[in-house]
Amino acid sequence: MKDMQSTDVASVRFQRPSWLKAPSHVALLSSGSVAVMFIAWVVVTETGLANELFLPGPVAVFDSFIKVATKGYQGATLLEHVGVSLSRIMAGFILACLVGIPLGVAMAVSRSAKAIFNPFIEFYRPLPPLGLYTLLVMWLGIGEESKLALLFLAGLPGIIIATIQAVTNIDPIYIRAARSLGASRRQLLFQVYLPGAGPIILTGMRISLGFTYTVLVAAEIVAATAGIGWMIWDAAKFLLSDVVIMGLIVLGLTGVLLDAAMRFAGGLIMPWTRHGNS
Amino acid sequence: MKKVLRTLAATAITVGLSSAAMAEAPKTVTVGYLNLVNAQLVTKSLGLVQKEMPGVEVKYIKVGGGGDMLRAIAADQVDFGGLGNPPTAIGVTRGLPMKGIMVLNMLDYVEAMAVRTSANIKSFKDLAGKTLAAPFGSTTHYLLLKALADEGIDPASMKILDLRPNDIALAWSRGDIDAAWFWEPNLNKAVKDGGNIFMTSGIMASRGYPTWDVGVVMNEFAEKHPDYVEKFVKAECAGIDYWLNNPTKTAAIIAKELELSLEDATRMMKGTEMVPCSEQLTGQYLGTSKTKAQSGFVETLLSTSSFLVEQDRLPKQLSREDYADFMRPSYLEAVLK
Repeated sequence: MKDMQSTDVASVRFQRPSWLKAPSHVALLSSGSVAVMFIAWVVVTETGLANELFLPGPVAVFDSFIKVATKGYQGATLLEHVGVSLSRIMAGFILACLVGIPLGVAMAVSRSAKAIFNPFIEFYRPLPPLGLYTLLVMWLGIGEESKLALLFLAGLPGIIIATIQAVTNIDPIYIRAARSLGASRRQLLFQVYLPGAGPIILTGMRISLGFTYTVLVAAEIVAATAGIGWMIWDAAKFLLSDVVIMGLIVLGLTGVLLDAAMRFAGGLIMPWTRHGNS
Repeated sequence: MKKVLRTLAATAITVGLSSAAMAEAPKTVTVGYLNLVNAQLVTKSLGLVQKEMPGVEVKYIKVGGGGDMLRAIAADQVDFGGLGNPPTAIGVTRGLPMKGIMVLNMLDYVEAMAVRTSANIKSFKDLAGKTLAAPFGSTTHYLLLKALADEGIDPASMKILDLRPNDIALAWSRGDIDAAWFWEPNLNKAVKDGGNIFMTSGIMASRGYPTWDVGVVMNEFAEKHPDYVEKFVKAECAGIDYWLNNPTKTAAIIAKELELSLEDATRMMKGTEMVPCSEQLTGQYLGTSKTKAQSGFVETLLSTSSFLVEQDRLPKQLSREDYADFMRPSYLEAVLK
């Protein structure tokens, strides 16, 4: 029996190097699947299987990338479109975090707070953003305020729900221990609740950022003259599918980069989460 | 066992018969119609297309605007559709499989530019520094930029926003915009709410920029069922005649179809010009199969597409022959014979 155990440990230890190699294995699979997708795209467009009007080939999409990056699309270059959209997304998202995390902690700690806010959050959360947007435009006008409000509202519930979950999941022993050692409310918040809940809150933030992205095009349909979402919407009206696909790829890449940045920042702030979940 | 065999045989015969019939008559005909005022609403309400095609299931799909219609055509979701001249120019230039078969309507003051009275806009020059709106890619966006170009005014001197008609009405009531070129029924809301009409699409037509909606058929349908394209045109012509001969009844039909007041429906009718089919083959509109290359509609398609190329919204312009090839007055010619 003892022998068996020791071989188990030994084999686990022995597997360590191969586990360390796992990222490269993952990277290999990921780049493989992307490559397959890309080759399928090339094949389908080159052989004429797909109508060029709906699915232009990689060359056409790349050309449109170069054209929009250098000459611009309807008065703004790609960088300006991306800049406008990212500042809208970040403003809405940061606002959602600033409101959502404290509110989530409050709702997790206090039953009254949860009772007060929960009905509203649960009610508006499943509403389609476009339906909500009509009302926001009525109240706030066609300028930046309504766009920001839509992005903010899209990001908010995810953060609140994740924060509630995260704080509720903290082992009460930690709280009791901290209290018995005389921790103040403030210390409790910053040294027990937030560090304990951090990893799940971060996951909630990443999901929320995704939700913010999903409403970007909707937010930029009304009276925008720049922004990557507007560019996609406008190009679609003129059947410029190369610009549409290029815009979607660029938008997706910015999302991937922002997500990676958040994970990186999370690893810096919460070093204990660096291994394990991602 | 015999019974089973008999049933099987009967089924086989029925299937065989129906597949034989399918070669001649389409099973269903799907008509995509635009959410605007023209005689297609009369044709639909009176079931005129259905009367021409007994045994065929006629389906109507209401389409919000030109952009949506282009997508419906691209996705092969309709057999017949209607398009304004800018979406038509886009669709033809990008090679959508469709042909233009008849004039649905000419746009008069049903589409117009409303200006806020308090903004004191008396000429196009007064628009400098103001905020305007028009649905981009529509007939009115085209006319707005054409009018500015004619007056030698830089569109960059004002703020032009892309808004859909209902959003324009909303932005107008909030005071976010000073002028908008769009269409009924929302247009009237702006006029009633402190606005007045500054320019109409009808005036622009007299200046050489007509805007219109053309009836289109999908290539595949036209090749399979050319006789049904004629039946469709015949029904629509009957609808146009009804419109011209029974204005009061037509207004009632439109009021019902679009859920408008009778007063609104009557005003919108008057702002839309219907062209009787007997006049559609003249040079001003479609021309005949022989003269179509020089017709007014091909002329408009040429000028619209060159405008869109300038706007960087079309990659290239086609030749006059290509736009003429899109126009097919032959079905109407057969109907009028």
